[in-house]
Amino acid sequence: SFPARAVLPPPRPVSLGVASAQRPKVIKTAAMDTDCVMHACGSSALLWRAAEARAARRAGIVGTLVGALARQPRQNARLGRPVELLKEEARLLGEEEGWALSHAPERSEVRLAEQHRERMEHSYAEQSLLALQERKAVLQRVLAEKQGADDDDNRAVRDRLGNLDDTFSFPRSAMAVQLSTARAGLGHDPEERRFLVSELLRTRDEQFEIRFRVFRDLRNKGFYLTSGGKFGGDYLVYPGDPLRFHAHFIALCVALETALPLCDVLALSRLGVNVKKTVLLCSPSSEGTVAYTSLQWSGMA
Amino acid sequence: MAESAQRETSELPQFCSEWLSPSELFAARSRCHRIPARGQKDFLPDGSALQRERLERSLEEHWSLVSEERVERLGALVQAEWIPSKRVVELRTPAGKFWQTMGFSEHGKQFLLPEEALYLMECGSVQVFLHGLPLSIQEGYEMFLSPSTVTLQQYEVFSHLKRLGYIVTRFEPSCVLSHYERTLNLPVQRDRQGRALKRKRSHSPHTDEQEGEESTEPPDHEAKNQRFDPENHPDSLTEEKDQGEVEDKPVAMESTSDAVLARNWWVDRSPRSPMSPTRSQAPRWDFFTITFPDLGARGPLSPLVAPDPTVLPGELSVSECELTPWLQRLNLRKERLSRREQEREQARRRYQRSVNDDKEVRRCGNWAEYQELLRRRRRHHGQRDRPPHLWESTVKPLVQPGQHTSPGELLDKISIIKPSRLLDGAARLEEGADEWKISFDVFQPDTVAEFKKSKPGKPYSRLCVCSFEGPVPDLRVLKQLAFQSGDIPVTFAVVDHGDISFYCFKDFQLPTDVSH
Repeated sequence: SFPARAVLPPPRPVSLGVASAQRPKVIKTAAMDTDCVMHACGSSALLWRAAEARAARRAGIVGTLVGALARQPRQNARLGRPVELLKEEARLLGEEEGWALSHAPERSEVRLAEQHRERMEHSYAEQSLLALQERKAVLQRVLAEKQGADDDDNRAVRDRLGNLDDTFSFPRSAMAVQLSTARAGLGHDPEERRFLVSELLRTRDEQFEIRFRVFRDLRNKGFYLTSGGKFGGDYLVYPGDPLRFHAHFIALCVALETALPLCDVLALSRLGVNVKKTVLLCSPSSEGTVAYTSLQWSGMA
Repeated sequence: MAESAQRETSELPQFCSEWLSPSELFAARSRCHRIPARGQKDFLPDGSALQRERLERSLEEHWSLVSEERVERLGALVQAEWIPSKRVVELRTPAGKFWQTMGFSEHGKQFLLPEEALYLMECGSVQVFLHGLPLSIQEGYEMFLSPSTVTLQQYEVFSHLKRLGYIVTRFEPSCVLSHYERTLNLPVQRDRQGRALKRKRSHSPHTDEQEGEESTEPPDHEAKNQRFDPENHPDSLTEEKDQGEVEDKPVAMESTSDAVLARNWWVDRSPRSPMSPTRSQAPRWDFFTITFPDLGARGPLSPLVAPDPTVLPGELSVSECELTPWLQRLNLRKERLSRREQEREQARRRYQRSVNDDKEVRRCGNWAEYQELLRRRRRHHGQRDRPPHLWESTVKPLVQPGQHTSPGELLDKISIIKPSRLLDGAARLEEGADEWKISFDVFQPDTVAEFKKSKPGKPYSRLCVCSFEGPVPDLRVLKQLAFQSGDIPVTFAVVDHGDISFYCFKDFQLPTDVSH
C-alpha cells in the first residue's frame, strides 16, 4: 500500500465547524486585558493565577500544567499551576489578546514584613475564635444527644461548656497558613516592569515564523493545540477542549518549498497510523493562508 | 470552589494574590484530598447539549482543582530562609523526613539546595522566607531557578522524578570513579554531593585528595624508595655519611671473616669507591668485582655471610644464612603429567619443532648463512603454494593458508572494520561544548530506606536534560557522556514544554553466528 497524498484545506470540514461552535468567541474586556499577565521564567512564559489560566483557555490557549497539584503534590497524573506556555501561545496572547509579559520585580520588603506579621496575628485571632466556636458546637451537640441521660455526665459537659471561654486555647501550631501559589500581580505592585511579548521571543527564526502562522491558523479555526514532540510532530491538534477530546491530528510545519524525503513522509504516516491520528503537513503560503496536506495509508487489496 | 469563594478585601497592600481569609483557611483544614477521576473522552464534538454540559462539568472540576491554594498547619511546616548570595535555603526549624534524601549540613547549619527547597515548597512541607516575608511558589520559581543553579527545564525533570518517588541528587563529576580507580577497586572518597557543584567547583577538593593519598599509599613509601634506590638522592648529606661508614666497616669484617668465597657481595668494594667527594655519573657498582653466590652449584655450599648491618634498616639484624635447609625445600620431584596434559604436550611438540632439530639449520655456521637458508626456503615455498604476485607485493592476503583452524578465528581475521563500543576512544575525546552536561543522579524509590546522603552508592541512572528544540546528541556527545558517567547508564530527559520523555542510547553488538 502507498500513502495517498491529498490536499485538504481544511482537513476535516465537518469537525471544523463544530469546533468553532464549541468555543464562543472571546469578548475582550478592558479589565481582562490589563489583568492578565504572563510571567517570564528563564526563556519560558508561565501563567500563575488560576484566573489567568482560565482566561487563556477561553481564548483557546491550552498550555501545560507543570507544577505540583496543591491537593496531592506527589503524583504526576494531575499537575497544578503554573501553566507553561509554548512560545507560539505566548506570542498569540501578546499580539491578539493584549497580554503583557512581566519579569520578577524587586521586592520592597520592610513595610510588607510588618504587614505580614500583623496579618498572621489577625489570622491567628480569627482562627482561635473559629476553633472555639467549633468546640462549643461539638459540646452542645453532645449535650443535645445526652438529653435525659445521666445527670452527672450532663453536668460535667455543661461545666466544660461554661468554662470553655477561659480554658480553651488554640495552639499556634494548629493554625492553618497558606502557601501562596502566585505573588501579587499587576495593580498591586506598580513597580512591576512589563515587557512586550516580543522581549521573550527576541530570537525569531524562520522556522518559528512558519510554526506560528500554522498555530494561529489552526487556533483561529477553532482547534485546540498542544505540543507534539512525543509524536514526532510540532503540534497535537484537538477538535475540542483536550479535557474532553482526543487529538485527531499530528501537525508538522514545513515550508511550502521544502522537499521532504519520501522515507520521512512514510515514517510519519506510519507513526500516525500507529497512534490512530492523521498526520497533517502544514505549509503557510505567501497569501497568508495555510495549505494542509493529510497523509493516509490506502490499502488497495 | 476557591475561585468563587469570597476574597478578603483588605486595605493592606497584598504581596500575594489569591489570598485566603482566616475562615477559608480554617475551613480548608478539613478539605478533601481525593482527585476526581476523569471520564472517557468523546471522539468528536457534535454540538449536543449533553456534550456541552459534560465539558462544562469537567472544566469546572479542572479549574477548582487548579485554583486550589496550599493550606498547611503551621506546626507541620518547616520554616526556612532563602539566602540569595549563596543560592541556598537555610532551615530555621528542624528538618522533616525529607532530610533522609535531601539537604546538607555545613558549620552546624542545615541547608537545602534551591531545587530541593522549591520541590518541598510545592509539596507543602517547607515555607521559605525572605526578609521576614513568606515566598510564594511563583517567587520560588523566579528566584531559585537560574542558569547557575538549576534551570526551569532541569527543575521540571527533577520534580517529575521526585514526585514519582525517585531520589534525585546533583551530578558531581569528581565523584565518578575513573576507569583506573574502578579497576583497582579503590574506596570512594566523597564530599557532600552537590555542594561543590553549588559553588561551581570553586571549592577545592583538597581534603579529599589528602585523605585519598593516606588511604591508598603506604606511609613508608618515601623511605622504601631511599632504601631500594640509593642513586635517587646522590647529594643528600645523610647518605654520604652512611656511605662513609659502609666503607669502613667491611674492612673490619674482612679481618674477622676468613671465608673468601662467602664474601660480602652486596657491599661495594671496588677501589673506584663512590665515596670520593667528586662523584662521577658512572654507576656505583662495579659488576666485574661483584661475585654472586652460585646456589645451583653441586657440592657443599658454604653459608652466606651476614649482610653488613649498616645497610639494613633500623633494628633488623640478619645472621649468617645456612643454605642447605633452603635447598632441601626445593621441589626436585619429577613432573608428572596427566594424560590430557601429555597429549597436549605431544601435540605441541609435533607442530613446534625446535629450530635445532633442523639439520640444515645446524649446518649454518653463522647468522648470515641462516638468513640465506630462510630466504632460499621462502622462495621454494612461494613457488609451491604462495605465488609471488600475491605474497611478495605490499598488498597481501589477510590469511595465510593453514594459519587458522576455526571459522570464528578466520572471520575475526578477515573483518577489516572492527565493531566499536560506545566507550571506545572516549577517553581521548577532549571536553566538548557546555551544551551537553549530566545534571542529576537518580536512585530508585525502593532504595530510600537504605539511602545515605554521605554514601549514596551507585545511582540507578544519570540524567542529561535537553529539549526537543535542541539538537539530537551526536556520537561524540554520547561517547563523552558515557565516559563521564562511568559504568552508570545515561538517560536523556527531553523536555517539550512541560512534557517529559526519557530516552537512552544503548550499545549494541551484532551477534556472530559462527561458533568458535
